[in-house]
Amino acid sequence: MNNGKAKILIVDDERGLRLGTKRLLESEGYEVDTAENGEEGIRLGKSNDYDIAIIDLKMPDKDGIEVLQNIKTAFPNTVCIIATAYASYETAIQATKLGAYSYIPKPFTPDELLSQLKRAFEHRILTLESERLKKEREERLLELAYEKTRLNTVINSIVDGVLIVNKNGETALFNPAALKYLNLNDLPLEKYCLDILPSELAETIKKIIEKEKYEQTAYSTQIEIKPNKELVIEAVCSPIPHPNGQIAGAAVVISDITEHKKIEAIKNQFVSMVAHELKTPIAAVLGYIKIILDKSLNITPEQAESYLQRSYSRLQGLLEMVNDLLDISRMELKTKQLEIKELDLVEIIKSTIEFLEFEIEKKKIKTIFNPPAEFPKIKADQSQISRLFTNLISNAIKYNKEEGEIRIRLRVDGKYAVVEVEDTGIGMSEKEKANLFSEFYRIKNEKTRGIPGTGLGLSIVKRIVETYSGKIEVVSEPNKGSNFIVYLPISR
Amino acid sequence: MALVAIIDDDPDILEATSLVLKSKGYEVVTANNPTDGYNIVVQKKPDLIILDVMMEQPDDGFFLAQKFRKEKITVPIIMYTSVSKAVGMDYSKSEMVPVDDFVEKPISPEELIKKVENLLAVKS
Repeated sequence: MNNGKAKILIVDDERGLRLGTKRLLESEGYEVDTAENGEEGIRLGKSNDYDIAIIDLKMPDKDGIEVLQNIKTAFPNTVCIIATAYASYETAIQATKLGAYSYIPKPFTPDELLSQLKRAFEHRILTLESERLKKEREERLLELAYEKTRLNTVINSIVDGVLIVNKNGETALFNPAALKYLNLNDLPLEKYCLDILPSELAETIKKIIEKEKYEQTAYSTQIEIKPNKELVIEAVCSPIPHPNGQIAGAAVVISDITEHKKIEAIKNQFVSMVAHELKTPIAAVLGYIKIILDKSLNITPEQAESYLQRSYSRLQGLLEMVNDLLDISRMELKTKQLEIKELDLVEIIKSTIEFLEFEIEKKKIKTIFNPPAEFPKIKADQSQISRLFTNLISNAIKYNKEEGEIRIRLRVDGKYAVVEVEDTGIGMSEKEKANLFSEFYRIKNEKTRGIPGTGLGLSIVKRIVETYSGKIEVVSEPNKGSNFIVYLPISR
Repeated sequence: MALVAIIDDDPDILEATSLVLKSKGYEVVTANNPTDGYNIVVQKKPDLIILDVMMEQPDDGFFLAQKFRKEKITVPIIMYTSVSKAVGMDYSKSEMVPVDDFVEKPISPEELIKKVENLLAVKS
């Protein structure tokens, strides 16, 4: 069927009729092929999708019924018209049963033939159209089915929970993650679910589905699903528009924010610690300055000087703490450019001791450091390793007794260079040791009173050691002293 | 003249606060940890307590205040704190924190005196 012109096959052994008909039909605009016997008719009819075939019933080689059957098997939609001079009721029925569209008795007039062909062609067009529609519908159904499974697969593999609730508050769809995050065993489909959901979530969904008109507004709510912040979720609920402008339901996306909450809590605690640590010295200094400025208090010049002296050292401590905090945040952000090179620990420790000479002598402390002639090198940033030993040795001075000792020993243990910094100071109990490396942790007791510090020194030490995949251990006994043992990987 | 107990682990705050109060004629006893603080309150029976929230533990002050109230020590307490704003906690008088007034550090001597005078006036 092309350009609205029917393509016709004439199968007839009578040459005159064949050619006459061909000429007639061509003059009417049909496209015509002819076959002079049954075999030729079958060959042509099976290899071309003709719109119409006019088949003579009686041919010398093959029966017209056989030709009809063959064509119908290959192209069921080819409209076949049986032509015969030996018309009989039985053959007509037989032909119709086998799929012939109609029956034309021979001889026929051109008008008879043309009117039959016209109807046959119309039938052909209708058949093809309905065939096309049927196929299209089947394809669309398949596509839909495929879309649906694909959508389900996609939704089920989303890490966040997805829950769709219709306007009546009934479950329309959900994925396994939604059940997990809501801590539910099941959510029956097409059943009212707002009484099963956590009340905060149900309220938010209600707020959406009870609206008259669709508005593009999403609501977010944070819900503690399991107590003690064991499972905290964030549910973002948004309306689903109905084609009529109303609301079809609500889509809920649920994410697990337990970890965020934990980090937030740690951050808040840290901020409050920092605020406290920074504010305390400021309060002390402000208090002293107020006293000095307040004429009504009548303090002596000696008192004033001592308060200024105290203020000065508190401010120095504050500056030290701010620097330590900056160091910690730099380590955290890893913004500090590290210059990794081979380092000689003996050199670094020697220069650290020199650097702290003044404090050591002030307390009349004896340092014992007898490094071996040969000691393996480590690979690290020089300023960080210097900072590490400055913090450890200055602690060994601060928490030591007058005329005490600091013993620094080097040794190799497997793949580690080990440095021990031991003092003969106040030491610590097991309980006091527990939080030793936490930020702002300072042991507060009779013995530590008056020892200045930021509570950040050892936390910085630990961070540095961990930067280089090393470790730190502490052995300590109250009133005897402490031994800090640092393991740093040897460079190879 | 009234006796004021100051319990704070910061020696400079203790000294500055004592000096201000003494200059106004108050008698002052001090302690720099919760244990000593409890003892001076029980032994010296002050008319007013100025108590720091954070000492050895971040909430030592709270526990000490609760302990006083449990033991029917009804002396007015002014609680010192430096972090309520930073952590967004707005403390107020409640069962949880049984104190009479909250003071954000730092506080000026005038303000401190005013608060002390107010609380002592209510008491007498």
